[in-house]
Amino acid sequence: MKKDKKFPKGILVYLLIVTLFPLIVSDSYYQSVGVIIGLHAIVTIGLCLVMGLAGQISLGQAAFWGLGAYTSAVLSTNYGVPPVLGLIAAALVPGLFAYLLARAIAGLQGYYLAMATLAFGYIVQIGIKEWESVTGGSNGLIGIPTIGFFGESEVGMYYLVWGFVTLVLLFSLNILNSRVGRAYRAIHKSEIAATSMGIDVRQFKLSAFVVSGMFAGISGGLYAHYIGILDPQPFGMHESIVFITMVVIGGMTSIWGALVGTVIIEFISEGLVIASHAIPGLKGDIDTIVFGAILVLIVMFMPEGLVPRIRTAYLKYQVKKSEYPEKKKERETVA
Amino acid sequence: MTELLQYIANGIVSGGIYAIVAVGFITIYNVSKVINMAQGEFLMLGGMLTVTFISMKIPYAGAFILSVLIVTGIGILIQKGIISNAKNANPVSLIILTIGLSILIRGLASFFWGKDPFALEPLTSNNPVSIGGVNVAQQSIWVIVSVLLILLALWYLMDKTMLGKKISACSVNPLAAKLMGISPSKMTMLSFAISAATGAVAGIVIAPLSVTAYDVGVLLGVKGFAAAILGGLGNPLGATAAGFLLGLLESMGAGYVSSGLKDAIAFLILIAVLLIKPTGLFGERSVGKGGL
Repeated sequence: MKKDKKFPKGILVYLLIVTLFPLIVSDSYYQSVGVIIGLHAIVTIGLCLVMGLAGQISLGQAAFWGLGAYTSAVLSTNYGVPPVLGLIAAALVPGLFAYLLARAIAGLQGYYLAMATLAFGYIVQIGIKEWESVTGGSNGLIGIPTIGFFGESEVGMYYLVWGFVTLVLLFSLNILNSRVGRAYRAIHKSEIAATSMGIDVRQFKLSAFVVSGMFAGISGGLYAHYIGILDPQPFGMHESIVFITMVVIGGMTSIWGALVGTVIIEFISEGLVIASHAIPGLKGDIDTIVFGAILVLIVMFMPEGLVPRIRTAYLKYQVKKSEYPEKKKERETVA
Repeated sequence: MTELLQYIANGIVSGGIYAIVAVGFITIYNVSKVINMAQGEFLMLGGMLTVTFISMKIPYAGAFILSVLIVTGIGILIQKGIISNAKNANPVSLIILTIGLSILIRGLASFFWGKDPFALEPLTSNNPVSIGGVNVAQQSIWVIVSVLLILLALWYLMDKTMLGKKISACSVNPLAAKLMGISPSKMTMLSFAISAATGAVAGIVIAPLSVTAYDVGVLLGVKGFAAAILGGLGNPLGATAAGFLLGLLESMGAGYVSSGLKDAIAFLILIAVLLIKPTGLFGERSVGKGGL
């Protein structure tokens, strides 16, 4: 397959921004926002594989995140396992859960799948809350050791997290442009047609789930060691919906979209925090109003999402400029 | 023995509410193939609006009717303004759309009413009645009465009237229905109105049993959806049975295992059922394509 020349350029710009961010922004609060964006991006890139590529929906992605966080946190806090091994377990345990869940629900479609993942999310959150002897229940888990990466500074953590984001990103982009990626897109378009072309739909859906679960788990593990305290609150349906919002705004079918969407939503959240301090009349869950409105408006007016929309607009512009319609065809093959 | 009966009584009350929410899901689904994840918010709005109207010195009955009318209007608005504009969306997009709606409504509710819970007076006195050693709040009896009335009315509407026949015609084959002079978009609107109204009534009658707040709709909606799925989508009788079953399972789970785990038990059983029968306990009623 011919590789597009634009592809490495995008990666280069990405690397430049990511590397320079903590050097330009020295405020440690905004550096920590950068860390959180990275942690969320790992989850949303995985969710993007499930939603955009395999055309499935997971309303319980925060559960995998929580499983990863608690796995690593419990192992390192209660049993003294080094955080690095804890992180590996944080990828494997949610991966295993995702495998079992996906095996169980591989035959389900559409609304049934949505319900099953929703139920799974609730089960995990309740399980974490109720298994008090291990997880600390609603009181939470405290004193989780940090990962020593270039010291224990904000910047060290930032580079560690974004290192993982980059790995996850490259892995996913590679999948997208391989035989596997084409198979996924075929499944997304039509499962029946994909099956008749010799694609094992069940197997592909399964692996998308497992990979997304592992990504979420790694992110959760990093989150636990970064924050230092855990309680079951952030691992429920609300967070799952926020992840979906991030994927949907950026564009379900685009890995870059997941990243861009995460950054946008995170910026909006930060903006709303500032706004709610400045304007005393803003009470209640302003962020849910905004996220809800975003979801509704995106599905109504821009179902493909931001990044694919911009890309199409750019391509149209290019085609207009060069007046060579063949070129458009060539570029469209790159997702 | 009394203990068991008590659990059964509690289970029937919450199960009845789940059944109403589930039937609301299915009323919309059958006509339009849309699962309206904002269904639980209708219940929340019903309860909260009634509390507000009563605090404005409007008599109970007036507040009740006014709230149901307003929620019905909101249901129609949602269908006309938003859902009907997403005609070509696939199930995944529709789920995302209606989830967006649901958190939008919830956010607005938290903005207008704040996050504090409100109490709604029960219809009749607070004293529980004792039936064969089982203590039942009077309001619970009202809940069961209204649940049965709503289910009966829906059954009558869907099975015995021309309107019900029109609705099922649209659900079986929208194009053929159109050729017969039935407007599928009108029927979809009607289905949204019906499930918003029944949801509002359910929300009002259960509000006095505990408290009502901006976020009560989440779990009620999810449980109703679970019952709809458990019974087999598109099957109102299955959904009703599954709703009661879910309520009973939950109250047994809360009584005999642990009250913290009751939701997890219900959801675990749901996943287990889907494993064995992917189309729900009573099977998906084979309905046509539907349309908006």
